[in-house]
This record gives sequence, structure tokens and C-alpha cells, in this order.
Amino acid sequence: MEDYFSYTAKLFNPDEASQKPEALSGIRVLDFSHVIFGPIAARMLADYGAEVIKLELPFYGDLWRPATYWGKYWKHSNPIWHNITKNKYFISVNLQLKQSKDLIYQMAEKADVVIENFAPGTADAWGIGYEKISQINPKIIFLSCSTYGQYGPMRYFPGWDLLAQGASGVLTLNGYPDTDIYYKLPDYVGDFVPGNFGALAVLMALYHRNKTGNGQYIDMAQTEGLMRILYHYTYFSVTKEAIGRTGNTDPTMMPASIFKTADGKFLALACATGEQFSNFTAAIGKPELAGDPRFSQTLERLKPQNADALTAIAADWIKSQTCEDILRLADQKEFPAAEVADDYTIANDQWRRDRGSVVLFKDDVYGNLLIAGPSAQLSRTPSRTKWLARPLGYHNRLVLKKFLGLSEEQIHSLEKKKVVGTFDDRPGLKPPVYYDLSKDPIYNYGKEVKK
Amino acid sequence: MSPKEEIYTRHAVRGSDRGKMLAEMMNADGKPEVLDGLVVLDVSSANFAGIVCASFMAEFGAEVIKVEPSEGDPARQITPFGVTVDGVGIPFMFEGRNKRYMTLDIKNNPEDRKTFAKLAQKADVVIESYPPGDMDAWGIGYRQLSGVNPGLVYIALSTYGQYTEKARQSARLPDSDITSQAGSGLPAQMGGIETDQEPFNWPLRGGMWAGWYISGLSAALGGTVALIHKQNTGEGQMVDVAGMDAYSSMVGIPATIGFTWEKARPRIGVLDFILYPYGHWKCKDGLVAIAAPRDHDFRALLKVLGLWEQEDDWRYSSDRIPDILEQALHLHKIIEEKTLQYTADELVVMALNYSKKSARSKWRGGGVPIIMKLMTTEKAMENKQWHIRKAFQEVEDEKLGKYTISANFVKMSESPPRVKWVSSEIGKDNEYIHKKYLSE
Repeated sequence: MEDYFSYTAKLFNPDEASQKPEALSGIRVLDFSHVIFGPIAARMLADYGAEVIKLELPFYGDLWRPATYWGKYWKHSNPIWHNITKNKYFISVNLQLKQSKDLIYQMAEKADVVIENFAPGTADAWGIGYEKISQINPKIIFLSCSTYGQYGPMRYFPGWDLLAQGASGVLTLNGYPDTDIYYKLPDYVGDFVPGNFGALAVLMALYHRNKTGNGQYIDMAQTEGLMRILYHYTYFSVTKEAIGRTGNTDPTMMPASIFKTADGKFLALACATGEQFSNFTAAIGKPELAGDPRFSQTLERLKPQNADALTAIAADWIKSQTCEDILRLADQKEFPAAEVADDYTIANDQWRRDRGSVVLFKDDVYGNLLIAGPSAQLSRTPSRTKWLARPLGYHNRLVLKKFLGLSEEQIHSLEKKKVVGTFDDRPGLKPPVYYDLSKDPIYNYGKEVKK
Repeated sequence: MSPKEEIYTRHAVRGSDRGKMLAEMMNADGKPEVLDGLVVLDVSSANFAGIVCASFMAEFGAEVIKVEPSEGDPARQITPFGVTVDGVGIPFMFEGRNKRYMTLDIKNNPEDRKTFAKLAQKADVVIESYPPGDMDAWGIGYRQLSGVNPGLVYIALSTYGQYTEKARQSARLPDSDITSQAGSGLPAQMGGIETDQEPFNWPLRGGMWAGWYISGLSAALGGTVALIHKQNTGEGQMVDVAGMDAYSSMVGIPATIGFTWEKARPRIGVLDFILYPYGHWKCKDGLVAIAAPRDHDFRALLKVLGLWEQEDDWRYSSDRIPDILEQALHLHKIIEEKTLQYTADELVVMALNYSKKSARSKWRGGGVPIIMKLMTTEKAMENKQWHIRKAFQEVEDEKLGKYTISANFVKMSESPPRVKWVSSEIGKDNEYIHKKYLSE
């Protein structure tokens, strides 16, 4: 039999991923959403082959377009925006005008999914909510994203990832006990996790529609998404006590913490099972610990007093070893360990490139950008990056002509009436200065362009 | 419309019963289930990413069979401070949703492997977390099972994945939440600033299972994409989730920043890289979260707190980002001096009153400064919003008694997920499963 890793190397070969079929090809998504939560739900669908049409206001665009880390732009674009909105069609339509709504209604006839994350009630008030769209297209799957949900007394409160972290209690779990400092989860993970939940709900709805022909309305509350990942509520209902903050130590396995090694590196090490613990004690040359009555049973080991003693023993050993040596031992002796990765190591680790966890993507407009791969690799219908974000209104012509069958004259008239528009001269909205849009065949779709 | 609803929206229709109508529409009673009739075998071991993935499928109606040896999955003992009920850990109880329990020792017993292979012929999904290559060596990996059942969706969870040289080299390295968090970059972005005392300036883990839950969610999402492909074509496939990808691949930010900045971001404590004010502050009686990052929100906040004289110095969002940390911390202190003078309730009302006025202005140029009380998980459970939305559910098991869980992550009108029962008893459904799937 062929060696397992040669077999899987062929099964998942990243070089072939772009030629493989896409599970969601033929699915059309209208994406009215903005910032991160909604756009991520739509992007997950785009990554698997759905045709996602993102609608933005002319000259203004998505609020998040210019929002970049420390105000640093890359080729006049927001580098993280590429990750949040890749693989989409960007059309810029002024929602306030009646003609724009007619365009949207026309698109809705042939759409499969609509995604929005305005404050609850807004989409309905503007005539682009589920009520109206489902009259036009009863099979529509309509995902509304919000912080507190579409009903309940808090429904009209606006939200950000921070407020969902605050309302679910996630924020108060991060930090050290007996201090007055809490840390919010970084990188808006309070948007990304619920965004993925939203995408999962849409996928389930698509599966259901394939079976029954029925569309549906989906109410995804960001805070409820975060609440689903906390067993802390159950712990409280059973013990009447709070878990609270436990610093760097995970109270569910022991040892399990982030430590400092002899060469000053930070390393996470854990023993989730009795087997891993005895592997660990053998690795550090203290097999007698596995027989110590304080540590020999998993549940005993987890009791706070024993846990503290064991964490101290682990910390002592770790600070006498280099990070590399510990990781080698972990591979050999089989207990979990990992160096704390940061932006630089994640961007440069060879294995991540080999796996497709990060991809150096060559884009027609922006050139090379390192972009994260999917957190699940599929052998037959893999997720992939096809293009990065685009300037505001970049796909106006393509969408209006190809998907709606409008003529160049009709588009001219829409442009004149400011129903559709493009970008303002601002970073995040406009193309890179070196890029000549007049020669771009997609921007000028259906027109002659000079090469 | 209640007076509260006026506060932030111009779109609430007076006398509208949209809320009631929606609550009724989302009622799950008697509705069809998406994955009704699908069989999912969860043989993951000591790995909550697998258990969580299985739970999501169970909540959407699949018949999920947890397969474990007679002493039980070690995951049963992965629990805060060693707390268990009848030998079952809290996280295992929390995830014990709509599942069947079967005992098979596929790690040690060749006969049990045969039974598992037979069961897998009838399965739609297999979820496993053994070291890459082990299931294959036992004759029950994707290669063998898909030969007999080409429609099988096979979800494998591991530390470094199923392919690449690194995966081969570290195949025996087990996965855990904290190593998944660390290896995928979350702790690097959390914790105190460089000049804080040790260990407060170290990288800090997220105080929940960010690694395992992100892996589990990604596995369920990838698995559902694979199920749609199967629905369309009949073809199954393998889904490979690596714990070391979890956080970095979900948020995507570390890779791109590492590439464009050519260095790692520093830790900036309680501040945010892009938005300010966007965090929490001490007040007279606790903590409040404040989000007023857009320039007009910030101006509004200054008015609310009586800090208008500061406007000139901090006018643009680029003035407020912490690229000069000292400067940003200075502004943080200025705001804190004010928030300390009020209770949380007072601050919330001050912001609400301002926003109410601003919502009535045609252009909303007044901004929307948001101030909310910071909740602990225990406090969050008391919030009326979640009672009305049934976000928490009291469940009961004959062995484990009554306990509370946060229910499903989403509301859907046609085919909603739901928790029908909870259970955790080892081997509880052996007979049922033999009769239903293994009798011929």
C-alpha cells in the first residue's frame, strides 16, 4: 500500500486546487453587508465558489475599506480588507434612489442568498428586507446579522465585535485573576466567529432548499454565536461558581499553560489526558510524578492546589530547556506543545506555505500578497482565492451587463443619474496609483480596451 | 414601539409587532430538520474540536453516534478544576446534544474495527482525531472507507494536518486547545504592553477554548460544504482541519500583516490597533464597554463626557490610533478620569439620551456613542434579551440532573437547529445502534 503521506499529498495537492470543482458554483449571493461580520459570512460562500455580489454606496463604500492597522495602507488599499472581501463582485449602487431598488429587485429574482447586517429593521424600512425580497423570490435564503438579534428588547441597539464580547461575557474571561485588567479578544474575532456561524447557517439552509425547494429567513445574533462557544454557563449552573479569569493556565487540563523557555521564547504546553501526562513525565525525566497521588488521576491533577504545584514543576523544567528541544521531545514522546506564533512566523513558516494555510497570491491588480488559506482543507472541492478586493464599483459593468443584460447606453444613463458610481480619491476605495483602469478588461467589461 | 426602541433607530414602525412576528416565525416546534436521516460517526478522541463539530451536525438533525472505548473518551475528564457530575466533565455535558453513545475500541481491538467499518458503510460523515495515518494503518482510514462508501465525508482533525512534510514529522504530536491557540497566533496579540511587569507582558491565552471551537466550527463548515457537494454529485471527500491553523486562518490578519509589515505587531494591552475608543473603562461601580470609533461617534462621546475641550487634539481617527502608545494611553487616561465619576448605569443613560437626539437628526451627524455595561458570563445569563430569545435552555438528563446550556447559535424560520435531548452515558445506545445499523 502506498505510504499514507504520499497518498494524502496527492489527494490535497495545493497546486491542483484551482482546477478542482467548486461546491457552490451556480449559487448567487447578494451581499448588502458591511464591516466584518456580514462580509465574512458572504466571503466563506465565495471561497467555495458562490457568485457574491457586494453592494456598496458610490464614493463612500464600505465603512471598513479604509480601516487598516495603524493607518498603514498597502498599494492604497487596506491589506486586511483583501482577506475580508476577496472573491467578490463589487458593485456600487445608491440605495436611496428608486431606480437602484429596481436594480436590486431584478438581481433578487435570480439570487439564492441575501446577506445583510444593518441595524435590525433598517433593511425592511428601505424595502430590501426579507419581507420584500421573499415576495419577489420566495425561494430566497435571507441571512440577517446583528449583535443582539432581530427581536427582543435590545434589538435596535447597534453593535460591534466589542459589544458582543461584552454582552456574552467572553471579554471578562481574559486576563489574570486578582487584577483589574481584562483583555478583549484580538483581531475582531467576535466578528469572524459569528460570521462563520452565519455562513454555516446559510449552508444548512442551502442543503435544506436542495431537498425541499424552500427558502428561509435566518436571524444570526453575534452575541449568541459567541455564547455557543462557552461552557462557562453550564459550569455556573452546576457549581453556582464562576470560572472567571485564570491567566495563562487552562483549568481543564494539567499542566496547560504558556511558559518561557531557556532561550526566552514563549511556549504553550498541555497534557489533556493521563497518557499524555505520563508521556510528559517520562520526557522530563520524572516518571515518578505519574505515580504521585496528587497527579496520578486526571481529575485529581485538575484540583487547584495540585494544579498549581504541577504548573510550577512544569515551569521549572521548561525554563531550563530551549524551545526547540522541547518541541522535538513533544514530537517524540507525544504531548501537546507549540511555540507562540506571531504575525512574522505565521507569514514565514514553510509548512504553512506547503499546506496552503497561507498562500502567496498573485493578483491581476495588486500583484503578490500573502493571504490566509482556509481553516479546513477539502480534498475534492477546496476553498480558494481567485481575486483580491477591488476598488469601489470595479465590477459595475460586468454585473450590470453579464448578470442583468443592460446595454452600455443604459449603464451610461444610470451613471448620469448617479444610480451607480465608483470610488472617491481615497485610499481603501481607489485603485493603486500605478494601475491604469482604462486598460482593464473587467472594469470596462463589454467595451474595447487597448492592451 | 417602546421608548427604548426610539433610541437608536428611525426605522421602527409605531405599533409594529415585528418582534412578536419574528419570535413566532423562529419557533422550532414541529419543523423539519436539515440533516434528518444522515448518520455521523464521531470517533474523535480527547479532542473537543471533533466533539463540537459533531454537536453542530446533531443540532441540525443528523443521527450522531459518539464512538468511544468502554472506559469512555478521555474528553470526558477535560473539565475546569476537575469538576464532574457522575464522572462526566462540564464541557462534555455541555456538548452532549442529541447524541447516541456506542462503545467500540477501534484503537486496540481489531474486531471492533471491523464493526466500525461496517457501520461506516452506512454513514454519511466520519469525524476522527487520531494521529494522521493511524486510522489508515488500522484499515479504516479515508482511503479504505471511501472505497466501499464513495459518498463518505471524512473529517480528520489533527495538529498539523494530514499532508506536508511537517505533518509527517509531527504526526504523533497531539492537539490541545492551548497549543492550537498558541500555534495559530492568538496569544501573541493578547496581554500587557512590553513595559508591564512579567508575566503580565507575556502572550496571553484566550480564556475560553478559542482553538478547539474555531477548529470545530471550521470542520462543521467544511463538512457541510462537502455534504452539499455530495447532495449534488454523490461524491464524498476528505476534510482536513489542523489545530495550528485555527485562529490565523479564521481571522486571516496575521499572515497578511506579517507579510506587509515584515514584522510582528507588538502587544498593545487593552487598546485596539484600528479603532479608538473601542474597549472598556473603569467606572464608579465596575466596568463599561465603550465603542465610539468613527470621528462623529468620538465627537459625540466627548460631548457626553464633558470633554469637548479635547476635540482639537484628537479630532481624526489617525490621531487616536496607538502607533504612538504613550499618546494613546494618555487619551485613555483622560477618558477614564471622566468615566470614574459616574456609575455604569449613569454612563449608559447619558449615551442613550445623546443617541436618541442624534437618531432624530436627518443626517445622524451627531454620531452614535455606545456605552454598555460589561457583563460576566454569569450576569449575561440574567439578561432579559436572552430569555425572550430562548438563548439559554435548561436541560435534564436522568443521570446528570438539570443544568443550563447556551442553546443553538442561530434562529432559522424553516429548518432551525435545536437541542432535543442531552445525554452522556457510555454505551447507552449500543443496542439501538446494533439493531438499526448492524443487524443484517
